[in-house]
Amino acid sequence: MKKKVLATLLATAMTVGCLTGCGGGAAEEPAAEAPAAEAPAAEEPAAEAPAAEEAPAVEAPATAEEGTDPVANLIAATTGTVTLKVWASEEDQDLTTKLLDDFKAAYPDVTFDITLGAESESTAKDTVLTDVEAAADVYAFADDQINDLVNAGALQEVVANYTFDVVNENATGAVEAAAVNGKVYAYPMTADNGYFMFYDSSVFSESDVQSLEKMIEVADAAGKKIAMDISNGWYIYAFFQGAGLELKLNDDGLTNTCTWNAAGGTDVAQAIIDLTASGVLVDMNDEDMATQIAEGNVVACVNGTWRAETAAEAWGDNYAATKLPTFKAGGKDCQMSSYSGYKLVGVNPHSANVGWAMLLAEFLTNESAQTARFEARGLGPSNLNAAGSDAVQANPAIAALAEQAAYATPQRVGGNFWSPAETLGQILASGNPDGTDLQELLDTTVEGITAPVE
Amino acid sequence: MKKTINSILRHLVLLLLAVVWLIPILWLFVTSFSGYKGINTSHFFPETWTLDNYAQLFLQSDSIVQYNRWFVNTLVIAVFTCLISTILVLMVSYTMSKLRFPGRKSLMSFSIILNMFPGVLSMIAIYFILKTFNLTNSHIGMIIVYSAGAGLGFLICKGFMDTISVSLSEAARLEGASEAKIFWKIIIPLSKPIIVYTVISSFLVPWGDFVFAKLMLNSGIATDWTVAIGLFNMLGKSMIAKYFSVFCAGGVVISVPISILFLIMQKFYVEGITGGSVKG
Repeated sequence: MKKKVLATLLATAMTVGCLTGCGGGAAEEPAAEAPAAEAPAAEEPAAEAPAAEEAPAVEAPATAEEGTDPVANLIAATTGTVTLKVWASEEDQDLTTKLLDDFKAAYPDVTFDITLGAESESTAKDTVLTDVEAAADVYAFADDQINDLVNAGALQEVVANYTFDVVNENATGAVEAAAVNGKVYAYPMTADNGYFMFYDSSVFSESDVQSLEKMIEVADAAGKKIAMDISNGWYIYAFFQGAGLELKLNDDGLTNTCTWNAAGGTDVAQAIIDLTASGVLVDMNDEDMATQIAEGNVVACVNGTWRAETAAEAWGDNYAATKLPTFKAGGKDCQMSSYSGYKLVGVNPHSANVGWAMLLAEFLTNESAQTARFEARGLGPSNLNAAGSDAVQANPAIAALAEQAAYATPQRVGGNFWSPAETLGQILASGNPDGTDLQELLDTTVEGITAPVE
Repeated sequence: MKKTINSILRHLVLLLLAVVWLIPILWLFVTSFSGYKGINTSHFFPETWTLDNYAQLFLQSDSIVQYNRWFVNTLVIAVFTCLISTILVLMVSYTMSKLRFPGRKSLMSFSIILNMFPGVLSMIAIYFILKTFNLTNSHIGMIIVYSAGAGLGFLICKGFMDTISVSLSEAARLEGASEAKIFWKIIIPLSKPIIVYTVISSFLVPWGDFVFAKLMLNSGIATDWTVAIGLFNMLGKSMIAKYFSVFCAGGVVISVPISILFLIMQKFYVEGITGGSVKG
């Protein structure tokens, strides 16, 4: 008898728990006030529920107080504490803490409860998609994750701006990277997620770094190495794209089109084998590169702004950076291409305070925040004014990135690309030890890259 | 002569095995004293030696490395889990070993089968159940997860209690002792070695667990983390170059409480093993 009572009690407790769980969510949602306030005719308001549900309720104040500041509307509509959870990358913690304090100070009439968590931009997607409801209200991520995040309903569409014009104040490339099907879903934060060539100018002259073959010759004479993470799809792309072969994401947003096995593909593969056969151009991951630069073994490397500090420290006044060099494939010089990437800040549509979350996302990515981020960490701003400042223009890494931009393409690629490309890189960098026919090798790789997604 | 050669060969094999086992630990240990913060695979021993990593670990908490907090969090979770699950295991074992009731056999087989399923299978379900009760990102939730199923792990402990003579508890029962009294006053004092085993093994589960902790503590707020998550996070792409030697120091420190626990319990442990052999 007792057992039955207990079982019933437990079952009741769970049911009640479920109900309160759902009920709580619904009760909190109305706070999603303002973003739709300015929404131009709210055309098909994003699939996410909160904004859509609340849109009609919001229209009334918007028309009543036409022309007033949307921020003032937001403040007026806010009662009680605004609770927000923010995720920024580990390296961005100090700066973000400071920006959050500034944000609180900027709106003294509102009580905030803002917590800051650590989540790397490169892994944000995985963590957010584990449980979107439990994810942060405002989070930073790398632009290649945007398709998946939008598909999962983890990003609030940017339908209106509070403090500045996100679309027109940021570089076009950055805004395109933040948009899916023409709708902007995130706030560009940095425009430097790409790679280029770092080198020690005491070893290489400016004319040396124009061609990879010349660089290898010079480095060989000096007894030093050039490092590149060839066994990584992100970097090996530079060779194939540079030779005019294609890799792109299909319209379904999941699968890829790849022509690496077309005519000329084997020339590129052979070129990579030849380049690494010298033993001067070495396949090396990012961590090892940092060590080897510091130890003085590596005098040039293909890497991004995050390694600028290491290189500048090791090479001192001789620290230099430039666009990627050319390489010879099938007898002609090809300019190495690269991926260009952006870091973005997104707002979670499940947030209880979408309006404030959007305002905060703007605050974390506005001109002064981007300038501060450049000053603190040397990251390239996507904001046009911030990027145009003299200090930014004088930074060698960012100048190199700008030079490379002409040959760079945004990173839009389906998940099936990475491991076949990695395998290809490993085989080529180790000199094709099994002696597989190169065409066959490329065919297998392309088959893997273009495989359908279940 | 033959004996000497044999012994040399045997010791060479042992030496080889010892080297294979100890090298990673030694590397972790020496790297924790390295003056260089990142991974350096070109030297086994660090080029510069320093205690800074330990100092940084304990004295200079920054926004993402909060070792003291992690340590306290993990310790609290582990201690409570250890207490609750030890008591549960002992009680279930006593019930299964000394009491006779209908359905005992089938209940036993059922729980043994249930216990054979890996706990991670139910991970997602547990996550959503706890989320409903708002217990994710809470240490209480973690303690519940770790200790809730503990009772199922009674098998070894029951085996031990089976060796304690029934006549002891029968005698006590004739004297009018209640079941609780028999359990606390007679069985428990005789079960020291198995209590030690249970304490150590139930302490180790939450102490070293990563999978559940990673799933449950998903707020990204460093002060909530346990040591396992914190250390894992220090190996992230953006952190490893600056924190690897600190990570090693953290790895060395994490072994301290287990060692202390074992040293305290060792006396009973050895006593139990030798005591058992004499009895046999």
